[in-house]
Amino acid sequence: MNSQQPLLEGRDVYKFFGGLAAVNGVDFAVYPGEIVGLIGPNGSGKTTLFDCLTRLQSIDRGQIFFKGQEITHARPYQVARMGLARTFQVIRVYRKMTVLENMLISRQWRGEGLLDMLRPSHPDTERRARELIRFLQIEHLTDELAGHLSGGQRRLLEIGMALMPDPDILLLDEATSGINPTLIEIIKDRIRTLNREQGKTFLLIEHNINFIADLCSRVYVLNFGEKLAEGAPEEIMENEAVIEAYFGA
Amino acid sequence: MSALTQTARPSLLRRWGGLALWLLLLLLLAIYPYTGVTGSTLFTATQVFVLVTLASNWNLIGGMTGYVDFGHAVFFGLGAYSMGILVTRVPLAFSPELSFWQALPLAGLVAALFALIIGLPTLRLKGPYFSIAMLGTFVAMREIIRILRPITGGGTGLDLPPVLNRVNEYYFMLGLMGLVVALIWWIRRSEFGYTLIAIREDEIGAEMRGINTTVHKIIAFMIAAFFTGIVGAFWAWQNTYIDPDVVFIEQRTVEMVMMSMLGGLGTVWGPPLGAVVIYFLQDVVWGNLLNFHLMALGILLILLVLFLPEGILGSLGDPSSTSLGRLLRRAGRGRE
Amino acid sequence: MDQFLQALASGLLLGGFYAVMVLGFSIIWGVMGVINLAHGEFLMIGAYAAWALFRAFGLDPFASLVIILPVMFVVGYALQTILLNRVVERPHLMALLVTFGVSISLANLYKVLYSADPRSVPVSYNGSFELFGVTMPIVKTIIFFLALLIMGLLHLFLHHTRLGKSIRAAAQNKDAARIVGIEIHKVYAITAGICIALTAGAGAMLSPTQAIFPFMGPPFTLKAFTITALGGLGRIPGALLGGLLLGVTELMVATYVPGIGTNLGVAVSFVLLVIILIVRPQGLLGGLRPMEVE
Repeated sequence: MNSQQPLLEGRDVYKFFGGLAAVNGVDFAVYPGEIVGLIGPNGSGKTTLFDCLTRLQSIDRGQIFFKGQEITHARPYQVARMGLARTFQVIRVYRKMTVLENMLISRQWRGEGLLDMLRPSHPDTERRARELIRFLQIEHLTDELAGHLSGGQRRLLEIGMALMPDPDILLLDEATSGINPTLIEIIKDRIRTLNREQGKTFLLIEHNINFIADLCSRVYVLNFGEKLAEGAPEEIMENEAVIEAYFGA
Repeated sequence: MSALTQTARPSLLRRWGGLALWLLLLLLLAIYPYTGVTGSTLFTATQVFVLVTLASNWNLIGGMTGYVDFGHAVFFGLGAYSMGILVTRVPLAFSPELSFWQALPLAGLVAALFALIIGLPTLRLKGPYFSIAMLGTFVAMREIIRILRPITGGGTGLDLPPVLNRVNEYYFMLGLMGLVVALIWWIRRSEFGYTLIAIREDEIGAEMRGINTTVHKIIAFMIAAFFTGIVGAFWAWQNTYIDPDVVFIEQRTVEMVMMSMLGGLGTVWGPPLGAVVIYFLQDVVWGNLLNFHLMALGILLILLVLFLPEGILGSLGDPSSTSLGRLLRRAGRGRE
Repeated sequence: MDQFLQALASGLLLGGFYAVMVLGFSIIWGVMGVINLAHGEFLMIGAYAAWALFRAFGLDPFASLVIILPVMFVVGYALQTILLNRVVERPHLMALLVTFGVSISLANLYKVLYSADPRSVPVSYNGSFELFGVTMPIVKTIIFFLALLIMGLLHLFLHHTRLGKSIRAAAQNKDAARIVGIEIHKVYAITAGICIALTAGAGAMLSPTQAIFPFMGPPFTLKAFTITALGGLGRIPGALLGGLLLGVTELMVATYVPGIGTNLGVAVSFVLLVIILIVRPQGLLGGLRPMEVE
């Protein structure tokens, strides 16, 4: 596609749980500025692949590269600091803290010394947090406890928290699941804006095919941990093997 | 209220009020001995200071970071034995008074160093496994000390020269307690404190947001160990005799857990409150049931867990706390 | 070579005891998810019971099992019903704290009842015999074979009786077991009864071999944890394997490392435990669960 180097790349990735291959020899690449989709039936290994990419799980074989550097054995926090952010299927926010506090704690951590850590935080951080809260249209909830938000609002907060460190790539795991259509449109719109105006790259796990079709330029399909198909959304949706995987025997 | 939000600035009183009150209390306590009290009253007060310090320390790793340490008293013991060994086996200075002051920070360092060594494997474990691993460390250390007879005096223990008197014991612990609680107060408001709480609330999420959770956990653990070791070293001096069974008693480790639980895990003022309550219960109420008081402690723990997991301040809705209940629910989220 | 054989034989004898000692702990953990920190205390109670019966009636500790086992079954059943069933479906930490409280209460209760002075059960047959040049203490040999017998009976019970199968079903999947009509809390109570009885029985068996005092419990709890980490939750073969491994390791260390006193058992098992947890946080046979993505 692009002649440039992939931003995030996996080569021949294998992940076994006992005898089961959750990820069975997957090759893929995401180039800077793309919005790429990752779909497949339940249990096809999508979230496991995400876990491997973000280094929450170790892979058994293969290599992972981010910005040209091999991260196969890096610690998750190191990968995060390099510019990779992620959301989870089950939303992880700090429920006992306010929306603003959640954003503040998600700021860019660059390994400060102990002395820096003993100070309260920087005003720039707060400015950025408030900007992002406004960007995600949850400004009215700034001082609300995260635990009191609705599912959709929490999802937006989680995306905001992922954006705080100004990542180069965002991995969103089922960002639209259980969300009402209005919020889905907001999320879609925000992703487009971030992609066009700031060149952010996205890799999206989704079950919502329309969402994928509207946003993604390329889609990977996984089934039983293997790459079943790869291509533009239109091609994928007409691919017989894909249809069979989703609906077939 | 948080110190992170600066534009929505809570009033000056809110932010510094706690510390100001604490300093005032310290001042009053500093004057107290001059009001003509007996040595035994000072001794009692010193014991309370010891408990408050231990509770606040434990709270750093147990309440704020969420790693419930069931064997934290091992650091107390290491501190006590470091002091004992340094003073009796290693002539450090020319007079016993100087030895105390020289050995004291060393005792703390030994404890902190051990925290580093044992923390690296154990802090990788989830909730209850960490708790048990530390309990195991505590139990094992008692036996290891007994085995290393040539260095530690084994079962017969070590005698230290009596040097301190009630008054300077009082002031020493007053100062240490004041320092430790103020430090916890400061940590709680700082970024370090928020990182620890983030680790407690969602360690995976914290790691995914670029926080080096290992380093933070280890540092909190080492700080908690350091001061606990110093208290242990002080205790050795005060008691003038140490042996494995006198130093490594389950009671100490249970007390540490219970004081924070009772007062409110993760809060700054909860553990000190819990310490005072526990002392009151043990000394005044149970003093009458002399033989049963340790048994009653065990029963209290059971009742506490079943019926008051929030602790006192937690129940009053202190938003900075985590109740034991929430800690349990969060730990339970990873349950198989 | 003689020394090695002796260490091996003694280690195996000790290991057999450990295996039966750990069963109660391991099964409670496997079936109910409760890590019983008062495990050692029930062992202690069994030992004291045997001592009391020996002192009052001259009853042989092995014979006294006939009394101790049923009585402690009732105690265990009651404990589960009154206390532990409240923490069973809650997070681990709660059960840990509660059982910790039970541990402290029991140890100190016994201190009040019997003082901290060590007691002993001097049976008449505490000599030994020679087998292929190896000295075999009579009492410990009896314990070994009795342990194997108990494990065999337990295995038969769990695999060939309806109740046993209910227990195993509950261990594997509580909800499915419920749907099939198994009253979970009753199954738990019976399980606890069996496990506490087993543990106390192990204590009774132990009584002729060492001093009995109220605070003898914690090292056994620690060893139980180590063995379970070695052998897996609730599995009899695992308990046997883990117990033998620990027993042999202890004796080997005692024989070949000079100058260490007799209390190294705890230190050894602790070091072993830490090594296991570092190298394989999920336990040797995969029973434990380390810090991982949820």
